[in-house]
Amino acid sequence: MPTITIDGQTIEAPNGAMLLPTALENGVHIPHYCWHPKLSIDGSCRMCQVEVEGSPKLVIACNMPIRDGMVVRTNTPAVQNTRRGVMELLLVNHPLDCPICDKAGECLLQDYSYAFGSRHTRTEEPRRKLAKRKDIGPRMVLDQERCILCRRCVRFCREVTGTNELGVFNMGDHSVLDVMDGRPLANDYSINTADICPVGALESKDFHHKLRVWFLKKTPSICPSCSNGCNVTVHHYRDRVWRMMPRRNDAVNETWMCDHGRLNYQFVNSAERLRQPLVRRNGTLEACDWEDAVAEGAHQLGRAVRTNGAASVGAVASPHLTNEENFRFAQLLRMLGVATVDIAVVVGEGDTLLIKPEKAANARGARDMGLQPADGGLAAMLEAAAQGTLRVLYVCGSDLPQVVDAQLLDRAVAKLECLIVQDIVRSPLAERAHIVLPSLTFAEKTGTFTNHAGRVQQLHQAVAPPDGQPSDGEIFSRLLNYLGEAHWTFDPAAVLEEIGAAVPAYAGITFARVGPMGWVVAAAPAAQGVGA
Amino acid sequence: MATRTVTVARPRPRGRGWAMSARAIVKGVWIAQAHFLRNLWGFMRRKPTVFTVQFPEERLTQPNAFRGMPVLVQMDNGKERCVACGLCEWACPTDCITIYPAETADEIERYPDVFDIDMSRCMYCGLCEEACPEEAIVMSQNVEIAAFSRRGTLWHKQDLLVPVDKLTDTRLHYVRRSYDR
Repeated sequence: MPTITIDGQTIEAPNGAMLLPTALENGVHIPHYCWHPKLSIDGSCRMCQVEVEGSPKLVIACNMPIRDGMVVRTNTPAVQNTRRGVMELLLVNHPLDCPICDKAGECLLQDYSYAFGSRHTRTEEPRRKLAKRKDIGPRMVLDQERCILCRRCVRFCREVTGTNELGVFNMGDHSVLDVMDGRPLANDYSINTADICPVGALESKDFHHKLRVWFLKKTPSICPSCSNGCNVTVHHYRDRVWRMMPRRNDAVNETWMCDHGRLNYQFVNSAERLRQPLVRRNGTLEACDWEDAVAEGAHQLGRAVRTNGAASVGAVASPHLTNEENFRFAQLLRMLGVATVDIAVVVGEGDTLLIKPEKAANARGARDMGLQPADGGLAAMLEAAAQGTLRVLYVCGSDLPQVVDAQLLDRAVAKLECLIVQDIVRSPLAERAHIVLPSLTFAEKTGTFTNHAGRVQQLHQAVAPPDGQPSDGEIFSRLLNYLGEAHWTFDPAAVLEEIGAAVPAYAGITFARVGPMGWVVAAAPAAQGVGA
Repeated sequence: MATRTVTVARPRPRGRGWAMSARAIVKGVWIAQAHFLRNLWGFMRRKPTVFTVQFPEERLTQPNAFRGMPVLVQMDNGKERCVACGLCEWACPTDCITIYPAETADEIERYPDVFDIDMSRCMYCGLCEEACPEEAIVMSQNVEIAAFSRRGTLWHKQDLLVPVDKLTDTRLHYVRRSYDR
């Protein structure tokens, strides 16, 4: 392996590696705009120039292959002077939009201007006028004046999505970023261009003029929208989620995420959210306190099992709940002896990049936790309810009406003695329920999801639920307390260790082992039904 | 535990205490009687020269450097100059400012949809004014925040707007000079 020296530090790097990533990996920060770890090398920004011994001029570190014995200096007067010059030229036409620019606070041009630029401008000429707030697609807006022509977005559309919507038009000082005629930036990954834009030229309409970025608190989490399990960072402030950003995990999503997943967070902030349990009394759903609602639910489940046997109770598990919660749900069903169970998973379209057909984050995890579908699945379960043999149905999540025949569901619900719905909003199905238990979203709880490939990944609680609102796992634990002897509590870390002891594929799992990058389950997934 | 005695040399008060007191007393009495006599003289001439400001009816004009509650500068078109950049919200040590930005079709595309200042928390430090890149929030001469409820001490954008004409020669002039803009 070649050995090089950067600023007196000796570094070994693999053959063919470029100088810039090698330096960054070893903690030497070389400023750069156009280089991105997941895109090809462009070399257009000239910001990463460094001094290499033996070279007559400065070289750009991003496109400089390392060779043995190379001696690099990144902080000599020549380098500093060059950086100042590059910054000055980039800022000649950059508008003074910082107070209204969404990027301010996470803008590389701002940061490098403070670190390497000069304090004053020497030009007196007017800045060039170009299109501002140009609508270039359903989710993106372009400000051509702010663009520094690094071409990251152009390369993204060419190399990652292959859709080629963006391009740099004209030459020299007249160069301008724009979309091709008649091809709006509408691909499924378009907002990633706002992430990789080092300035505020490309902005997401969803976050446009919403909040200054320095107020945002960041919590690592997992995208709940499909079974790919993209690693994300939830940006939240004042107990609201403001946006989601992809978090780098080369085994799952590299540094990207799809637009649908990124924008699918509004339900967390929704004013429609259920905050109090509802119980049907004299024909209408009335708000009541948690103790009464859980006691009523336990009473209905227990009575149905005692009088009509465990076959009179059915359960629809949610693929949106964490492994820990579904494990508790499986324990609840096992205690009741209920074997009629299935998972309602919406299956849509997928693509070859990130989007997977299963539109829920944890369907695989739910199956692994022992919630294996019974014979006939949901259709047979609802048919049994319509026949009157199944009298109590416990539905978690909101996906059931989307995956079964509406008429069958209607007949089944009309016949049920008791319908328990656990959902985040007062859905049409919840309107017909006897007991409605409010559920929490992915942003409000800690736990793990298992993605389609069997990678267990951790969610962290970002926003706090209202005081006293229990998580779904806590609801299952309280039901267990009513129905059984033991005193059940719900601590995600402890439950994960229980899972490690009970499910062979998850043997030895802990939050520490899952870590920020996830943990892959053992090859053979646990194939065991409820009651095993 | 062993104890020991230390003699401390305490500094003696400078000058003669009683003499200083006497001088102060004489000076105080002199000022008081001078005011009294001048008032009495004016009263007798039916031209009273009273120093008291009859507060709710009369108000003093404060110097431009005076820091009362922060207000928003209202431009001639009736809109606020603020672009909701959030720097005052960030600079505020008491977190009394709450801003929710929004977008308009105007040339200045961003404005504060909500701009609230909790005057019961504001400490008149003036850091919001110093942080503002638009000269949009300035300190005023108003210090009257009394309200009948705590909700009443929350000032909204409409309460805070002051026409720019009223501020140009006073506080805005001072701000430009003192912050080297």
